[in-house]
Amino acid sequence: MKTMLLENEYKKPLPKILPETEKYWQAARRHELILQRCKTCGQIMYFPRIVCFKCLSDDIEWFKSKGYGTIYSYTIIHYQIAHKSFEPDVPYIYAIIELDEGVRMISNVTNIDPLKVKIGMRVKVTFEDVTDEVSIPKFEPS
Amino acid sequence: MSIKGKCAIIGYGETEFAKSKDSAGRSNYTEQCNAAILAIEDAGLNKSDIDGLISICPLDQKSSWTMDLVEYLQLYPKFLDNLYFGGASGNAGILYAAAAINSGLCSNVLLVGGSVMDAKQAYEHGLENSVDFERDFDTIYGPMIDNSAYALIKQRYKYEFNATEEQFARVVINARYHASRFPNALLKNLVTVEDVLNSRIICDPMHLYEIVMPCTGGCALILTSFERAKCSKNKPVYLLGGGQAFDRGMWTPAYGSNPSITSSPVKQAAKQAFDMSGLKITDMDFVQLYDCFTITVIISLEDIGCCEKGQGAEFVEKTDLTYKGTLPLNTDGGQLGRGQPYGACHFMHTVEAARQLMGRAGQLQVKDTKFGLVNGNGGSMANECTLILGNEIP
Repeated sequence: MKTMLLENEYKKPLPKILPETEKYWQAARRHELILQRCKTCGQIMYFPRIVCFKCLSDDIEWFKSKGYGTIYSYTIIHYQIAHKSFEPDVPYIYAIIELDEGVRMISNVTNIDPLKVKIGMRVKVTFEDVTDEVSIPKFEPS
Repeated sequence: MSIKGKCAIIGYGETEFAKSKDSAGRSNYTEQCNAAILAIEDAGLNKSDIDGLISICPLDQKSSWTMDLVEYLQLYPKFLDNLYFGGASGNAGILYAAAAINSGLCSNVLLVGGSVMDAKQAYEHGLENSVDFERDFDTIYGPMIDNSAYALIKQRYKYEFNATEEQFARVVINARYHASRFPNALLKNLVTVEDVLNSRIICDPMHLYEIVMPCTGGCALILTSFERAKCSKNKPVYLLGGGQAFDRGMWTPAYGSNPSITSSPVKQAAKQAFDMSGLKITDMDFVQLYDCFTITVIISLEDIGCCEKGQGAEFVEKTDLTYKGTLPLNTDGGQLGRGQPYGACHFMHTVEAARQLMGRAGQLQVKDTKFGLVNGNGGSMANECTLILGNEIP
């Protein structure tokens, strides 16, 4: 049985759940993409931080993103020697997604022929459950 | 008080660059020590004259490397630094050294970088040493380190400005042209547009020939004061201006305060350098631009003011960038022509500028050259340091 489990093991890098990112990953597990907003100046932030990078206030709240955005830029990775665990996936899309809330995030665009991906394409968030604790937000055509 | 004209490069040294597979018997010590010895000799100094040291820690060494180099070479510096922000570190080191010399902290600073590095080592380093937010919000999506970061920038650039692959290929053709005539270069074969476009796509739209080849090598420089430079056996190369700018973390171009990934902090760095020097881009007899990828060169050309934003690709297509052209660019072949020895690549563009300004560039000598610009770039165009150098003080 142990061998079976090992075969199904997720071999790609996993995020470490840190105090400042714990809420983000808990939400992702519920298939919700959450962002931070500074209650002092209104700045929206991705990735999670302990203070607002604009006004340095620590009065930060979380809110649920609508989960829609556009592809700001992308690359089709054809050759991967840095992270061997991604090698079986080539060619795959590594992209910058500009969320409708105005922040940019790195992600993958899935469920599409890589050759059909274009800058400006509308996408929506989808979650990949990779372990019992971790779900990773990715994007697919909307 | 500005450091304009207060310090000068009086010597340099480079080891013979070698492909990873031809690096038997080479080590991080051979590269940094031999480059340092060559630079000290070239400057006409003795080891005991060196009282400042800045070195670039090889990726596979501990961050205490510069101190350990002190032990290894038995140096006695009064000023020591170890910079780590990628390819801008070399020029930044020159600025910091100039500030230290000018404020009386030390007299003669040795700046050195170099390593034995293959692509696999470099990537493994990136994997193991990423900071928390990079690991948790970027690495989990499978980047190909700098290749994918610059591919994102190039893709966006092509989208915004309709630049063509043929235009990008011009940067490689120019690099290989100079490399074919430069003794210490590894990629000496000339290439055509078709060769570049037919080279393997690593991270679309980035072709293999648009990406530097990691290799073995070392580079070093000696910086001293204006007064001591007057007695130098080499023609002094004065530091006339310098500027630095940073706008995001090391690798991912997704975040950061710059609203566009097709504009870079080169703009602010170059402006500060020009303002200090009192010179303009049209005064430059050549430019040496950090060229880890073709897109780096095109964006840097725009941001130093050679052309408008979005015109860089057309500029490289229509301008003679050779040593005898209207804007000589990377006259030693740059990293795209010579190879990229980590740490040495932080200094090699500045070494080439010094070579030109000392009149020692041989068959690649730019005629009647007085002033030149060097830009160092690190991360995904995240940190930049521009220097204006000259063999006279305007």
